[in-house]
Amino acid sequence: MGLLEIRGLSVAYGSIKALHGIDLRIDEGEIVSLLGANGAGKSTTLRAVSRLLPFAEGDILFQGTSLAGLPPHRVVSLGIAHVPEGRGIFPSLTVLENLKLATWTRSRKGSAAALYRPVFDLFPRLEERKSQPAGTLSGGEQQMLALGRAMMTDCRVMLLDEPSMGLSPILVKEVFRAIREINAKGTTVLLVEQNAGMALKIAHRGYVLANGRIVLAGSAEELARDQRVKEAYLGNRAG
Amino acid sequence: MLDTVIQQLLNAAQLGAVYALIALGYTMVYGTIRLINFAHGDIFMLGGYIGFLLVTAVSGMPLVVMMPLAMLLTALVGMLIERVAYRRLRNAQRMSLVITALGVGIFLENLVRLLVGPQARQLPAQLPNGVVELFNGVVVTEDKILIIFISLALMVILWLFVHRTLMGTAMRAVADNKDAVQLMGINLNMVIAVTFAIGSALAAAGGIFFGQAYSIDPYMGIDLGWKAFIAAVIGGIGSIEGAVLGSFLLAGVEVLTVAYLSSNMKNGIAFGLLILLLLLRPNGIMGRPELKKV
Ligand SMILES: Nc1ncnc2c1ncn2[C@@H]1O[C@H](COP(=O)(O)OP(=O)(O)OP(=O)(O)O)[C@@H](O)[C@H]1O
Ligand SMILES: [Mg+2]
Repeated sequence: MGLLEIRGLSVAYGSIKALHGIDLRIDEGEIVSLLGANGAGKSTTLRAVSRLLPFAEGDILFQGTSLAGLPPHRVVSLGIAHVPEGRGIFPSLTVLENLKLATWTRSRKGSAAALYRPVFDLFPRLEERKSQPAGTLSGGEQQMLALGRAMMTDCRVMLLDEPSMGLSPILVKEVFRAIREINAKGTTVLLVEQNAGMALKIAHRGYVLANGRIVLAGSAEELARDQRVKEAYLGNRAG
Repeated sequence: MLDTVIQQLLNAAQLGAVYALIALGYTMVYGTIRLINFAHGDIFMLGGYIGFLLVTAVSGMPLVVMMPLAMLLTALVGMLIERVAYRRLRNAQRMSLVITALGVGIFLENLVRLLVGPQARQLPAQLPNGVVELFNGVVVTEDKILIIFISLALMVILWLFVHRTLMGTAMRAVADNKDAVQLMGINLNMVIAVTFAIGSALAAAGGIFFGQAYSIDPYMGIDLGWKAFIAAVIGGIGSIEGAVLGSFLLAGVEVLTVAYLSSNMKNGIAFGLLILLLLLRPNGIMGRPELKKV
């Protein structure tokens, strides 16, 4: 059984159905990429998992237990962290306050320095800027803060919604390197991306979503070679 | 001459302290759920009555017992109102929420009128009312000094709570992004309930002080509620520092108007000040521009 399993999930906004019974599985330790064009339903999927959206049909299982009926904050305490589209940082709070809030559900034993060490080791720039309001950070730094907050929740699975959005190619590389490192330290990752090339480079497996349905699934290499994926998401490069 | 100026300043500080205790609840609730809680003036009134009923029930109950108890009970009422009347409307049109708040206010006024009666009541004086000589010939009454001092102490405690505790940090985060607060593993409903509890408790302190300094009646929350609301808007609604600043500013202008111009002009000047300030600074003195998305 996978660490996180989505079974026959349907989600609707009012009368408009955004997901039509999707199935998805993530195993412990994997990076799984969820690809798809604008409006395919990627964010909807993540918001259903973190219970920000109610789901109409199907179920979501984490370590075999259903998330149906749980409020969002309980999902976090189970070990699922969601970095939403647009990052969701608190601009009026300092960097440190942003990180500190993410420790809400876990124990804060030990020194403060030790508590933030893993995040500051991965993102030294956050440590330099820890006392400034998060709203004054650059886009890349804000994404690092969003990832850092997810780390602070002590999660087992991270749901990342387009972490490369709006970043320069150099910063995208840096963020993806960080995601890889987070995964190497034992956190499972569900990575939503439009930047399929980058996502498939670090992912083990992937799914392609179109109009609320899973249309392709496979290993990252298979998907990267797939003609349909190439045409739709990697640009029309022959070969 | 100096004596009257000092007395006027103390009167202004006392009134400003009461305004501030109410204005803080307006601003905190607005900061978290973007609701102008028009029932808040009536929660202030209710706090005064709960204090009154406590000292009537147990005669000789000292203020150090009565006030925390009344604040606690009023906090529970504030949480109950949020739970029953506002929570399910949180994602509804803002107008539904505002109308509900007005309805809750009218309900509270009539409830108190029915249970306790429409006439004005005097809270038994529980503060020492001796006089202290500041310097040659200038004397001030102890109760006034205590009201000002305790109110300021409550405001300092609130500031420390909001800026130095994790719950306070969460309250500020709710103003930024409610979804993201939940994604930190924080129970949003709990944070909002705490916000209502604190705002209501402070309003109760204001109601008790008002009853000590003047008197209480079921409709006192209307006038005082509007004034405190104006003070919060002048200061920049959503800002705690702004609410305090706006309250003392408004009280100062009012007291000076009554003392040196005419008491008839008091409200005219207060509302005039509001309009003028909002023309100059639409977000209030301490307001953050991005907070004003009404
Ligand atoms: N709040 C909403 N109300 C109504 N419809 C919505 C809402 N949010 C999303 N939708 C619709 O649901 C569908 C899926 O949206 P979703 O945001 O999940 O797409 P996405 O794959 O994340 O797209 P993008 O890459 O642009 O972020 C779209 O058709 C969208 O218009
Ligand atoms: Mg999206």
